[in-house]
Amino acid sequence: MLPTGGGHGLPSAPDGVGSGDGRGRGEPPPVPETPGSAGPATPDPAGSPLAGSQSADSPLGAEQAGIDPEFPPAAGRHQDPDQAHRLPMFRSAGFRFAAIYAVLLAVSAGSIGYYVWWATAGLLDRQVEAAIGTDWQGLAERWAERDVPGLVQTIDDRLMQNVDDDAIYLLVGPGLHPLAGNLERWPITVQASGPLYELDVSRAGIRSLAMVRSYDLPGGYHLLIGRDVQVRAQLRRLLTDAMLWALVILVALATVGALVVRSLFRRAIANVSATATAIAAGDLGQRVEISGRGDEFDQLAEVINDMLDRIGRLMDGVRQVSNAIAHDLRTPITRARTRLEDAALHAETTDDLRAAIERATQDLDGIVAVFQALLRIAEIEAGSRRAAFTRIDVAPLLADLAELYGAVAEEKGIALETDLPGALPTFGDSTLIQQAVANLLDNAVKFSPAAGTVRLGAALGPTGVAIRVADQGPGIPAGDLDRATQRFFRGEAARHTPGSGLGLTLVQAVAHLHGGSLRLEANPGGGLMAVLSLPLPEDGEQSNRDVTRSPLA
Amino acid sequence: MAVTASTSVLAGLACCLALTVPFGVPAQDAPERVTSDTPEFCLHLLDQVSSIVRDATAPPSAEVTNLSAEGQKMCAHGQTKGGIMRLRRALVLLRSQDAGR
Repeated sequence: MLPTGGGHGLPSAPDGVGSGDGRGRGEPPPVPETPGSAGPATPDPAGSPLAGSQSADSPLGAEQAGIDPEFPPAAGRHQDPDQAHRLPMFRSAGFRFAAIYAVLLAVSAGSIGYYVWWATAGLLDRQVEAAIGTDWQGLAERWAERDVPGLVQTIDDRLMQNVDDDAIYLLVGPGLHPLAGNLERWPITVQASGPLYELDVSRAGIRSLAMVRSYDLPGGYHLLIGRDVQVRAQLRRLLTDAMLWALVILVALATVGALVVRSLFRRAIANVSATATAIAAGDLGQRVEISGRGDEFDQLAEVINDMLDRIGRLMDGVRQVSNAIAHDLRTPITRARTRLEDAALHAETTDDLRAAIERATQDLDGIVAVFQALLRIAEIEAGSRRAAFTRIDVAPLLADLAELYGAVAEEKGIALETDLPGALPTFGDSTLIQQAVANLLDNAVKFSPAAGTVRLGAALGPTGVAIRVADQGPGIPAGDLDRATQRFFRGEAARHTPGSGLGLTLVQAVAHLHGGSLRLEANPGGGLMAVLSLPLPEDGEQSNRDVTRSPLA
Repeated sequence: MAVTASTSVLAGLACCLALTVPFGVPAQDAPERVTSDTPEFCLHLLDQVSSIVRDATAPPSAEVTNLSAEGQKMCAHGQTKGGIMRLRRALVLLRSQDAGR
């Protein structure tokens, strides 16, 4: 049941790598100066890469100056914000949006225009067709009943009773000889039965327009039925004129609207584009301006700004970790080198040499442990262990740890008191939780004075499990509490205590992985109290599902 | 951009208008004369009205009488279209009265 991971703070692996909790962060142990060790062991004249000697010429200095050394603002990389506006027209998104607006407007207006036409002029045409069809049905019945004389009589009657004065009939016999109707002769243009013909007619000397259709009758007879549509044609002409004017207005509106849409689009993205260009040029402090309207562009700006803030924090973290690694590893490497060099120069026996090599190996093991701890933290922060989460009970796990560290504390004359309930259900990885609590207990035992007391308590609350580890050590100054979980952070009080400043970092990573938190506060009885909060099983499962589904996970 | 937008709008409306263009064969140059607007047709209608009135068992209504008289007068004065319209209405009324009986 022992936690793994390079022995972070566990008594079984007292390498001191994972147990430093930051309350002793300070300068590294003094490096013994020996002849010949000053050169390679102290490459930095200022004594530390953090001594503030960086200039803008160095990569680090360039980063601190807000310029990415990998992407200097060379002339070829810098893009004028206006350059985006000089894109070829058809590649411009603004043009596409404007064109889409114009097309949508045209389609909408065209649809409305077509409906208006269909409901007016189209309706008149359909009425004419229906009237001709109805006429034909009646006349065909009369032809079937009484042949030619009956049809002639019916046509004559219909013409005489045509109050609307719009009917046109013509019955012709073989040879197109007129028998009845009100047309002087068979129109030359009407060649076949079936289609509807437009026919120019003269009514009392006035030119008019008619729609006619021809029907073939047995015996070589032909019947022409039509309607005068002059009034309808005038109405249609008025409609056509109105539609054409509407078309002109529509084109003007579409053009103006498209220009406005393109202008709005360009203005909306100009802000983001300018910020991105400035950042690409190395000004990482630039942020997208938020208009305050709370619209989609403001939301986008907020997301981009959050992203830039996070990138900035990550870059700061990487920079700080890089510096800390270089700073903290220099001491053991220098120490190992010094031991080996000293042994090479002064060892008189084989045993002296072997002892020097063993001590140097221990120093190098410490370095390896630091890297293992860093990799472990990185693995936890990456979230790859989330897939192994299950419902677990933390209570027996804490009891095992209390038993284990009770013995260690007893050796140092420290009392370990526990206050653990019977069950502490949560959702997570028991190994990681065990490792996190072990780190807290290791810190507490390490920093508690002799005859002190370390208290391990846990409680099940409405929001989850809270695990408390309190000691009576020097504690952490209030000003350092926020930084205590940063990698390699060690407070002043822990200067002479073994450790690397990664223990609390790992605990916090475990807490965040589980959707919980790590809170550090002053112990009411003196010392430090660390509270590791873990969610309830249901909340943990839901959080795990959400994180797993998220594409950003 | 504006040219393309305008072109698309014009093309769209042109399509719509093309779909609604009257579907008949183009008209011919020389118009066909309609014979139901002539004074002869007016006289023909007047004969028909008179014939029906004469054959009717009951006297025509005042409206029919007025319409036929006005129609006859207008046709005589060259107002053929108006005269024909009144005579037609008189004829329709007479036919409807016949159908009513």
